[in-house]
Amino acid sequence: MPKVADIERALEPTWCPGCGNHMMWKALKEVLEESGMDFEDYAMVWGIGCHGNGADFYRSQGFHGLHGRALPLATGIALTNPDLKVIVNMGDGDGYGIGGNHFIHSVRRNIDMVAIYHNNQIYGLTTGQASPTSDQFMQTPSTPGGVVEEPVNPVGVAIAQGATFVARGFAGDTEHLKSLYRQALDHHGFSLVDVYQPCVTWNKVNTFKWFRDRVYKLEELEDYDPTSRTMAFEKSMSTFHELTCAPDECKIPIGVFYREAESFTYQDGLPQLDRPMWKHAEAPRDISKILEAY
Amino acid sequence: MPLPPKGSELRIKIGGAAGLGIKAAGQTLARSFVEAGLEVFDLSEYPSLIRGGHNTYTLRVSPRPISSHVETVDVLIALDRETVDAHLDEVIDGGAVIFDPDVTSTEGWLPSRRVRPVPVPLSKFAKEAGGPIMANTVALGATLALVHFPLMFLVDSLREQFAHKKPEIAEQNASAASVGYGYITKLAGDFWMGVEPIPGQPKRLLVDGNEAVGLGALAAGIGFYAAYPMTPASSILHFMAAHERDAGVVVKHTEDEIAAMNMVVGAAFTGTRAMCASAGGGFALMVEAFGMAGVSESAVVVGVLTRPGPATGLPTWTEQSDLRYVIHAAQGEFPRVVLAPGDRTDAFELTWKAFNLADQLQTPVIILGDSYLSDNRQSVPAFDLDAVTIDRGKLVAEGDVADHPEALGDGGSYLRYKVTEDGVSLRVLPGVKGAQQLGNSYEHDEYGYGQRGEAAEVRIAQNEKRMRKLDLARTLVPTPAAFGVTPAEADVAVLFFGTTKGPVLEAMRWLEPDGVKVAAMQVVTVWPFPADEVRAFIGAARRTIIIEGNITGQLRGLVREQCLVDVDDELHRYDGRPFSPEMIYAKLTEVAHDA
Repeated sequence: MPKVADIERALEPTWCPGCGNHMMWKALKEVLEESGMDFEDYAMVWGIGCHGNGADFYRSQGFHGLHGRALPLATGIALTNPDLKVIVNMGDGDGYGIGGNHFIHSVRRNIDMVAIYHNNQIYGLTTGQASPTSDQFMQTPSTPGGVVEEPVNPVGVAIAQGATFVARGFAGDTEHLKSLYRQALDHHGFSLVDVYQPCVTWNKVNTFKWFRDRVYKLEELEDYDPTSRTMAFEKSMSTFHELTCAPDECKIPIGVFYREAESFTYQDGLPQLDRPMWKHAEAPRDISKILEAY
Repeated sequence: MPLPPKGSELRIKIGGAAGLGIKAAGQTLARSFVEAGLEVFDLSEYPSLIRGGHNTYTLRVSPRPISSHVETVDVLIALDRETVDAHLDEVIDGGAVIFDPDVTSTEGWLPSRRVRPVPVPLSKFAKEAGGPIMANTVALGATLALVHFPLMFLVDSLREQFAHKKPEIAEQNASAASVGYGYITKLAGDFWMGVEPIPGQPKRLLVDGNEAVGLGALAAGIGFYAAYPMTPASSILHFMAAHERDAGVVVKHTEDEIAAMNMVVGAAFTGTRAMCASAGGGFALMVEAFGMAGVSESAVVVGVLTRPGPATGLPTWTEQSDLRYVIHAAQGEFPRVVLAPGDRTDAFELTWKAFNLADQLQTPVIILGDSYLSDNRQSVPAFDLDAVTIDRGKLVAEGDVADHPEALGDGGSYLRYKVTEDGVSLRVLPGVKGAQQLGNSYEHDEYGYGQRGEAAEVRIAQNEKRMRKLDLARTLVPTPAAFGVTPAEADVAVLFFGTTKGPVLEAMRWLEPDGVKVAAMQVVTVWPFPADEVRAFIGAARRTIIIEGNITGQLRGLVREQCLVDVDDELHRYDGRPFSPEMIYAKLTEVAHDA
């Protein structure tokens, strides 16, 4: 089975030194090694953004798609080859902004796949504009007067929309992140892992230290029940933080917010998906019976 | 008065408010004529709404092959007064108007010296038979009695139409038809137009263009279809969804056309024969991912069934104004194939061929149609299923990539985008041992990685590799189709693409007895443009004309650009209506006289 060294390419990643993407890359490679999956067992899909450059740093069966469109591209793979586990990497602008429509519909579809969002609350690759998850009042080149909108709450939206696995990680804690990746890979259904991944170049507010001062783990709470959608939704609402709020007032939960033990996936509703769909094109399909109706 | 086609045939138009089941009734009638051995062509015209508004269904029936609708009507079934007001002029001298005196007033159009009024208490009979919705069925029965055509074919078709409903529905409809038939039979017997059953005819199909496209895709082994509803393409989605279980196709109604096209590229990545379709507006949303299919060398088929634009345009009408658009859609340059079926038989054949071309070339292929093709049914000879072949090109679906050393680079890595002489690389599917690869929307190196794609020499090599596939395409795509005499013999030579085929062929039949010699060329593959054939055709002809359904002359522009020649004349239509053979007959007669 492939080891971390097989999964990565002999190529120095081009992310900025200290970028959260390095930690996410490390965590995913290690989990892939542990998973025992062979190269042929999974496919990886990327959107466009700093995270997407990661497509070049893995050896995989993969597709580096369009900005915002990784989910439908991955869905096309997942709905035509049941033998492939599909892992999707997206950014926050990519996945929650331009791709926001696909986000909502992929959640409610419960496609069996893993969706990892590299959430740095900023547009990195296009030099630091506000993203859909930027905090309110944040000043950026595209919002010199400060962001007016409320940030998208991906965890809350997903839970409200019927997601069957919702987790949030922090790139500064790779061991914890790996446990989330493991659970996401194990989940039968759409597994959303939103990862705070500080941008060291463009986001001078939500830094590693800023997060370290604020994050806490849901699994360390005594009375938290991740199978309760109500509790999960309530927790998801505590995530909005203001730029100026003090660490002890702005606590940010990470961990598994919600999971459904048994979930009916989109693929479960497709009895015709009992084999890779290319096999239907090995010979012309006999349509003579269908033609009788014409 | 438009020119009536020569020869014995029957033209029936049903008009009324949307929601009255006019199209369904008309199609049932069409089916009964086909079962009786006759040829039919129908035309549905309807506004973009579900209730109210004015709908018509026109059915042309003939004992000989026909290829389009005509402008004239023998029997007008007016389910409301608006139908009389809008269509009385289309009824030929001596034709009949069937109407319900309880619904449609006779004020202002009766008495008439020109047409024969046939009042039938349609609503009353329908209510007696089981419900007012069956007024159109009563009218169908009355129509058949009027033209002395046996009722039994209609009764059989009604039973077939309602086979999946409660048995009494079929019987109520059969009885409604009989009541209308009996009423007219008793009244008068001197009206005779048209057609008789022809026993022993070989089996023909009654299909619209979307069904033909769907059937072609099924025959070709499609495994994935994704779409967002948009007129006139929506019924392909319905067709594919209806067969998703029995044929084994994953069919996805997506959140938008962007998702549909991206999913199709994903499906092609796993080696699945995959297709999406929409109108021009939906295709606009697909365009970015269409370009991704080009740069990632994905074998996908896209149906673009056009309607008049721009933007929402005229949703339920027809036009050929997206030719340039589909040829050029997406930023950057990459090879594509655009096939333009002219009728339902073309639609079936070109669709299954499109899947082969997509695989052979590893690039997107477009089926370019329009509402006139999508919406309207035509009786056609049974499709030639024996001719259907599957050619997946350079594809390895199973095994070990190590068995294909020609596709491996240094260190044994599989090169998905290996530069080859014909531009096509060996496509080894994910799941094959050792086939790690990166499909990419970025420019990329031979493996698929984007980072090295920025190197000038890599960009040049990949760009040229892809474009070489266009040269290969020229050797694989269907060539233009020729009709009539040779251009050298012709009084007038006609060039067209797509659904103009039907009315052109029809007009050519009418011109034959006039002694006007016509040569016609259908540009079947509109991209890559068949410049040599078109130039030769124009060069050999004395007088040439392009007929196309748009305002700017897009095909003519392509001819000038690609062939460096021009034609003498042109005929356009851009009011949302299809060309009629009457229009083309008149124009060709005029051009031939000038020649």
